[in-house]
Amino acid sequence: MNTTESRTEPRTGTRTENSEGRMVNGRIVEATHISRIFPMPAGPVTAVADVTLEIAPADHIAIRGPSGCGKSTLLHMLGCVEPPTAGTLLFRGDDVTTLSDRKRSLLRLRQIGFVFQRFFLLPMLTAAENIELPQSEAKVPKAERRQRTKELLEYVGLTARADHRPSELSGGEMQRVAIARALANKPGLLLADEPTGELDRATGEQIASLLDRVNADGTALVIVTHDPALAERSTRILSMRDGRIDSEAASI
Amino acid sequence: MNAVGFAWRSLVRQPARAALGVLGVAAVGALLFDMLLLSNGLVISMRGLLDSTGFDLRVTATDALPGQGPLVPNAIDRTHDIARLASVRSAVALRFANALVLAGEPRGVYTSLQGVAASGPSHPWTILRGRDIAPDRAEIVVNENTATRARLTPGSRVMLRASCNDGPEALPPVPFDVSGIAQFPFDTPNGTTVAMSLEMLARACGGNESNQADVIMVASQESAGPSVAVADVARLLPELHVMSNAEAVNRFERGGFTYFRQISTVLTAVTLSFAVLLITVLLTVSINQRLGEIAALRALGFSRWRVVADVFCESVLIVGGGGLLSLPAGGLLALALDRILKRIPGIPADVHFFVFEPSALQVHVLLLAGTAVVAALYPIRVVASLPIAATLRDEVVG
Repeated sequence: MNTTESRTEPRTGTRTENSEGRMVNGRIVEATHISRIFPMPAGPVTAVADVTLEIAPADHIAIRGPSGCGKSTLLHMLGCVEPPTAGTLLFRGDDVTTLSDRKRSLLRLRQIGFVFQRFFLLPMLTAAENIELPQSEAKVPKAERRQRTKELLEYVGLTARADHRPSELSGGEMQRVAIARALANKPGLLLADEPTGELDRATGEQIASLLDRVNADGTALVIVTHDPALAERSTRILSMRDGRIDSEAASI
Repeated sequence: MNAVGFAWRSLVRQPARAALGVLGVAAVGALLFDMLLLSNGLVISMRGLLDSTGFDLRVTATDALPGQGPLVPNAIDRTHDIARLASVRSAVALRFANALVLAGEPRGVYTSLQGVAASGPSHPWTILRGRDIAPDRAEIVVNENTATRARLTPGSRVMLRASCNDGPEALPPVPFDVSGIAQFPFDTPNGTTVAMSLEMLARACGGNESNQADVIMVASQESAGPSVAVADVARLLPELHVMSNAEAVNRFERGGFTYFRQISTVLTAVTLSFAVLLITVLLTVSINQRLGEIAALRALGFSRWRVVADVFCESVLIVGGGGLLSLPAGGLLALALDRILKRIPGIPADVHFFVFEPSALQVHVLLLAGTAVVAALYPIRVVASLPIAATLRDEVVG
């Protein structure tokens, strides 16, 4: 594997319209000098400092670094879960810092998918219902979401497990359902926080392959991981230290 | 899946918790329902009982309750004077005393004795068997308890020793014929009652009690109504005290009955507080167990309002389910409590402490709805202010 130092720029960039109809370049995310500082009783803690990053539709990015270096906080900012305390964060041209909580929720619902280390599937729902839930929240018509759910179950290879509850699934199967759920509303960006962290090597490999396929099918992917093997499957690897992006390497 | 469906699935997911909540609310709701029935039950029951006598005015010498104050003098003439008023349909003078019926049991049967002088044929009792008394004959009607204990039937002849004053008396027994068995509206479950004409009561009392009554009961003309009749009687006999049934009930409400309302208010507040605490604790525990899931849903784009609605619907479902169960449970409990309370001596058999009225159900529903809202406030606050990123981090670290 060859890696080269590079600037954090996207590989592609076409002009499209944002939610307000303004023409923007094709980048999904444009983060400029963003920081996240948490006020603490003992004094403010800087989790992310002065990060500039752009994500394009075909990007496959891995963020790695030691524990507490700010990887997850950066991921949450990129996913519009929490806004930066400094800097500018544009999502498809919209300034995330100016959006209301409701608008950020809508943006996440329709344009961003999340995959978590602990899956966080709803245990009282079946695999199919878990996948259907975000579509239901996005007011997708019933017939359409049933069809989409069926396709997604097929996509992740769990058609036979559609009516199984999470407690009846293995860790790998749960993560596949979680990936299908994240893709339910056809997001342009999929964010995964340690997606193989709870899985054995072989199962982790399956999940990594599935994520590769998601990216190859046109969804930008940002993965936070400690797993070098998973990181090296990405086309861009960002190394973080003390809240900053230490270096970026391109992987072949 | 909407918020209601989601809440339902959350409850079904933890059936023990859901059952605990629903049963808790059912128990509390049953008590609440009973307190609402109790708060007005006695008043409603007493109003019904007073109205069931067919007389809607009471005329006494003073504002003391009948039987507890001075007697109305010249009662028979006054009864007829009242009955002649255009707003009055009929009137009956009533005198209360006691009597020992010398029959049945070895020492006889002690009874309440009523003497009546009516302007018309109607009397404040209902004949069950036999016939009513004739005013000028030595006849009595007795209630079922007296008939059973003294082994009397219509046509029996019996010796009766009256007791007409509070002090010691040694009146001679007087023979009477039993003309019928009657039901008296104010009878207690074990009460023994005998009634005769006022004239015969005077004879039984040794001729000392002629023409005096504890109360004159008056039935107003339907066209006039009780308020007009009250005004007419008060104008005719200004030295006497006239009261309609409604006024009598109001007086009860201001008097002894108010304790029931106060007790019911206090117990209602306690039961509601308990319900709020129970549901709040259950919901909060449930939410704390799934903070990660809620944070994940928020990260996936579920709005703050949506997760709040889920919690609120869960509260509504618990309270709604418990509330529905509380109605039959409360009804059964009310029957049992009513039976116990009616054992208090002197309570008429037809008086009930717990009486259903539609407004009680409406208040019950409103209070439970309020409970669902208040109980959900804290869990809603927890969910609404949940920091998504921090919770996801904590869940992974935890």
